[in-house]
Amino acid sequence: MASHGGRPNYVAVWAWLVALVILGLAVSFLPGARSMAVALIFATAVAKALLVALNYMHLRSESRLIYAIAIVPVLFVLGLTVALFPDFVFHR
Amino acid sequence: MATRAEAQAIPGILPGKVGVWWFLASEVMLFGGLIASYVVFRLGSAGWSTESAHLSVPIAAVNTLVLLTSSLTMVQAFAAVEGGDQPRLRMHLGLTILLGLTFLGIKAFEYTFEIRAGFTPGAGIFWSFYYTMTGLHALHVLAGIVVNTLLFVRAGRGTRNWHQVELAGLYWHLVDIVWIFLFPLLYLT
Repeated sequence: MASHGGRPNYVAVWAWLVALVILGLAVSFLPGARSMAVALIFATAVAKALLVALNYMHLRSESRLIYAIAIVPVLFVLGLTVALFPDFVFHR
Repeated sequence: MATRAEAQAIPGILPGKVGVWWFLASEVMLFGGLIASYVVFRLGSAGWSTESAHLSVPIAAVNTLVLLTSSLTMVQAFAAVEGGDQPRLRMHLGLTILLGLTFLGIKAFEYTFEIRAGFTPGAGIFWSFYYTMTGLHALHVLAGIVVNTLLFVRAGRGTRNWHQVELAGLYWHLVDIVWIFLFPLLYLT
């Protein structure tokens, strides 16, 4: 994103976010392999979240401490989800 | 002799910003726990997509665009603070509040429509998750609207609360990010 005085172009970021919403919607309506569609839909969600976090929350220009505070709980949530798979998803 | 409690500021970091990020970290765990539960429940059983098919994707898509736009107006309010532009700060805070209220209004309409069709929170495990996750998110949106309204009023009185706009913005963007994940989880899959 082109920056103005060190800050991102907020309107350009918004345009990308809208485009990703439309892309996610389009993928959800496409026929074909459902698992591929789900993967693409979540990829667009992750991309949108990153755009908001890096540009609107200014994580791009923040210190390492704040970066760590932001990243660690996300890793915990991912770990929690995967750790529950044997009990709920792979149960016999 | 009066003493005043002092805390060493972390060099280079705005006062309160670390505290807000710690709070946001707890919010990530709150919604992340709900989302993790939803994902493992859904992957482990059948019939969920049949239930989620009753949700309205167009209404939720409009609500997603409303919330994304409110993030833009919120960060534009922050940009106005950096530029020392009080009228522009008020305008963008006002727009953020209006968009937040629009989101809640659309959500209320959606809930009414679904409950009248018989899809209440007790209608099944999918609906329990749906109302818990979106209801908790809506409460967070409401809290953000209250904070933004306070800032809007203070900005109108000429109070210099510049850094609070950035801190409120961080919270508002996280609420937006939560919805960015709730929308595909509940509506698109």
